[in-house]
Amino acid sequence: MKEKMDKIKNEALALIDSATNTAELNDVRVKYLGKSGEISALMRDMAGVPKEERPMVGKLVNEVRFAVEEALSKKTELLAQAEKVARLKAEEIDVTLPAIGNEMGTLHPLTIVKNELIDIFAGMGFSVVEGPEIESDLYNFQLLNVPKDHPARDMQDTFYINDNMVLRTQTSAVQARVMTTEKPPIRIVCPGKVYRSDDDASHSPIFNQFEGLAVDKHITMGDLKGCLETFAQKIFSKDTKVRLRPSYFPFTEPSVEVDVTCAMCHGKGCRICKGTGWVEILGAGIVNPVVLDMCGIDSKEYSGFAFGFGIDRIAMIKYGIPNIKMLYENDERFLKQFN
Amino acid sequence: MLAPISWLKDYVDINVSPSVLAKKLVAIGFEVEDIIYQEKQVSNVVVGKIVQVEKHPNADRLRVTQIDIGGKTLQVVTNVPVVGGEVVALSLDGARLANGLEIKTGELRGVKSEGMLCGLEELGLTVDSVEGQDEKDIIRFNDGTPLGENALVALGYNDVILDVSITANRPDCNGIFKLAKEVAVALGTECREPKINYKSVGGNVNDDVSVEVKNQALCPRYMAASVKNVKIFPSSQTIKSRLLAVGIRPINNIVDITNYVLTEIGQPMHAFDKRELGGNKIVVRNAKEDEIIVSLDGKENHLKEDMLVICDAEKPCAVAGIMGGLNSGIKDDTSEIVFESAKFARDSVRRTSRALNLRSDSSARFEKGIDFGSQELGLKRALTLIYETGSGDIQDGIIDVKVDYQKTREIEFTTRKIADILGCKVPKAKLVEILNKLGIEVKDNGKSLVAVIGEDRDDIVGVNDLAEEFIRVYGYGHVKPTLFEYSALTEGSKPSKIKFVDKVKNTMVACGLDEAVTYSFISAKFAEDLRLTDDDAARNAVKIMNPLGEALSVMRTSLTHSMLETLAYNKTHFVKQAKLFEVSKVYIPKSLPLEELPSEVETLSIGMYGEGIDFFFAKHAVEELMRALGKNAEYVRSTRPFLHPGRSAEVLLYGKSVGYVGEVHPDVQETYGIDNFRVYIAEINLDEVYDEAEFETRRKVQPFSKFPTVDRDLAVVVDDKYLAGDLLGAVKAAKIKYLTDMRVFDTYKSEQIGEGKKSVAMSFSFACLERTLTDEDVNAEMAKILSALKRKVGAKIR
Repeated sequence: MKEKMDKIKNEALALIDSATNTAELNDVRVKYLGKSGEISALMRDMAGVPKEERPMVGKLVNEVRFAVEEALSKKTELLAQAEKVARLKAEEIDVTLPAIGNEMGTLHPLTIVKNELIDIFAGMGFSVVEGPEIESDLYNFQLLNVPKDHPARDMQDTFYINDNMVLRTQTSAVQARVMTTEKPPIRIVCPGKVYRSDDDASHSPIFNQFEGLAVDKHITMGDLKGCLETFAQKIFSKDTKVRLRPSYFPFTEPSVEVDVTCAMCHGKGCRICKGTGWVEILGAGIVNPVVLDMCGIDSKEYSGFAFGFGIDRIAMIKYGIPNIKMLYENDERFLKQFN
Repeated sequence: MLAPISWLKDYVDINVSPSVLAKKLVAIGFEVEDIIYQEKQVSNVVVGKIVQVEKHPNADRLRVTQIDIGGKTLQVVTNVPVVGGEVVALSLDGARLANGLEIKTGELRGVKSEGMLCGLEELGLTVDSVEGQDEKDIIRFNDGTPLGENALVALGYNDVILDVSITANRPDCNGIFKLAKEVAVALGTECREPKINYKSVGGNVNDDVSVEVKNQALCPRYMAASVKNVKIFPSSQTIKSRLLAVGIRPINNIVDITNYVLTEIGQPMHAFDKRELGGNKIVVRNAKEDEIIVSLDGKENHLKEDMLVICDAEKPCAVAGIMGGLNSGIKDDTSEIVFESAKFARDSVRRTSRALNLRSDSSARFEKGIDFGSQELGLKRALTLIYETGSGDIQDGIIDVKVDYQKTREIEFTTRKIADILGCKVPKAKLVEILNKLGIEVKDNGKSLVAVIGEDRDDIVGVNDLAEEFIRVYGYGHVKPTLFEYSALTEGSKPSKIKFVDKVKNTMVACGLDEAVTYSFISAKFAEDLRLTDDDAARNAVKIMNPLGEALSVMRTSLTHSMLETLAYNKTHFVKQAKLFEVSKVYIPKSLPLEELPSEVETLSIGMYGEGIDFFFAKHAVEELMRALGKNAEYVRSTRPFLHPGRSAEVLLYGKSVGYVGEVHPDVQETYGIDNFRVYIAEINLDEVYDEAEFETRRKVQPFSKFPTVDRDLAVVVDDKYLAGDLLGAVKAAKIKYLTDMRVFDTYKSEQIGEGKKSVAMSFSFACLERTLTDEDVNAEMAKILSALKRKVGAKIR
């Protein structure tokens, strides 16, 4: 009996060991542990064993059974593991193939720069205001101290709609609108399209301006300089310096042109800044008291500063865009670079 | 303004280089746009001496010369009959001449030639530019001229000219002498006064001419002087060279004097031939309506009543400040002249000049504004030049008809006020010193200061102007940056509408579209290009009076035209796939011609073509937009003439169209040059979609079931005319309680289904907030759905 049991056990363990997949293993299970399996048969054979030997034989049969069951279980786990590995191996893909799905689009560089500018000035307490692009002569010129037939009109080539309406030549028109309706303290920026009737290699008849206006008690040229320095350092780089030069705009007095140290060479002098180290970026000044009074703000009590610059120009400097026309051609190969 | 440095030096000592001078002028507010070195107009042309002349071995008319250019002798073949010892201008290898010709060493009939002998023309000069040369011959120098020297320098053509941009507030600086005053300030030196030195011979100007000014508002001052026994001859080389340097062609001594004074003093002058002044009278008056004058340029001008003319006893002789009449000019036999030196109102000259399209150096100058100070100075300077050049006999006296005007103006101010404007310390002594240097007298009355402004500085009217005068000389480097130290704190904010537009743009970007920005004005042909019907309101576009051209002449009423052009641009530039959007204004007039400003409507345009792009891709962007804005849009077939009739939809919100999405009509694609592939566009009126209150309201979170969701599919057969939207609409209208989601996932036609019919497969999801739904619940809901579909669209279950 003992020999028979050892034989069955060894045979079973050998079969389990040699099984290569779960199906074979199952066959082994049925062969030995199934209802009519060989180990089950041993249990049935107990009937023929003398009564006093039964506990001992029973124990031995159970030992054989446990050994086989344990081996089966171990092998099952082993095979499952191997099969999973094999499946994963079979499922291998080329991960360098391109992704599928909709790729993101891009914002236009003018929008990106405009948003950046709005954030910078919002941080200094400026709110955004917009105004009409087809503007009355009153707001675009007259309230800005440029009466009809004034020589300052030659500073800008104007598109006229009729005698009293123009395509605004400057976002400063929004200033006049705000000053006639709001009371100080005023601190606004006005981004938007402006129009000048000149069209050549370096000019676009449409471009985008960004105007700023602060009116309150005790606003000084120093505040203007500080504000523009903060702006220039945020939009270009921390080491950017600002320089004011005397100039003329009808609606500011004193008026200044503002240069910043060249973003390319940081002031050392290069091709972009024509070797000067400085790049002219905007016009600004103290709001002309005449303008304040015309707009209904008492110039004896209040003062202000205003500035205006081209968003296009800032974008061109920041991104190294060689030609303003590229901003309006909308070539996908250009637009896609601003993600 | 062009300012030759040699001319400036008449008035101010300049001991710095032109570039240093330019920098100093920029620092005080005079931008120097260019520094023109005359001697650099052509390069590599030098003085050379002919040391040997031989006959050319192969050509009778050519000579082979050896030319010494200072330490080096070159061989030059020429057809000019030169002889040994002559000193000539020789262009060398690499020289680029004024006519564009580039000189290269080469062979002429087999003999090496290392340059070319030059005449004036090759150097861009005329006989007026330099002295002692013959226009038709080559240039010849005196023996002893340094060999190898730049030929232009040797000719004395070596001035340096500053191109200075004079701002509109400083018309007083549009003259060499006036600019010299600023140069003196920039250099910290003194400026000399113009030389006034002439003797009159007797007679009396009042015997020769009388002046009557009928409109003193437009002519506040009119001065006249008389010169007899006038001799007409060419001006001196100095005058000719200086005029040429500032771009004025020399004509004769009298005309040149008027131009010289205009350039130097900034005062336009006019010289009348006295024979043409009928009745020996000058009357300054408004023109009569439709009065005619033929101007010096031969143009017939029809005048209007608001224009000012200079007349004799009968007829107009000049358009005031702009141009003389055809016959009033100086002729070779002119023997008596009357000089005019007047101040005409700048607005009037500007208006008249533009209305008549008549321009001159004089009108350009008057338009900028002339101060009271320069009529007398100009006239006396002209008489001095007449006297110095011996051009005629100056008669005694000057006629001066003028309004009463204040010669000086006073502005009271304090250093404190100036410091408040500038935000920097203002030392009183420095302030007074600088203003004095600028010709502004300052009186100190203890409590405050008083600035006395002369008649040449109309631009200084208040303390701000004084602050500018001070700081532009003191230097902006003294202004220290501050950030609103003494003013109120304000909150920076973005209006709701801008945030809305940002959201629209971000949604488009998320849909894979790239933002475009196009011009606001488009071709007036857009309506034809888009095949718009005659009564389409989109045809009513605002026109620009002075457009850059037909293609940019009307303000767009829709973005469609621009988008199609942009897609065409990409296609012709080999871009395989384009997916674009733009958010811009369109301009909708309330009436035409415009009586009030038009509405500017924020509009979204979408345009795309390329692999994988179809109607539904374009519609996806529109749907995502609506979803982002919490809107439920409906889609019905569109009949827009520029869209494919079977592949286009109107986008409806609350039953009203807010735009369209669709494939472009093949005929329109052909018009735009984008045929043979499919193009999709959409346009949405964002103002119609935008509702500030709604946009600012945060949508509240909706509860969702934690119990299992039950999904059921249903396929029904309907008439072909019904669209998926009709079926979904029918179910939606039935208000099915537990329905949480539904969609159409398939439609197809087959013979089996029958002619004019189609099968639509839909899936539905059900859930309940309170409990798990039973089969009975869902069956009841499905029955309601089917019943609704039967009722509304005649659906039969498959």
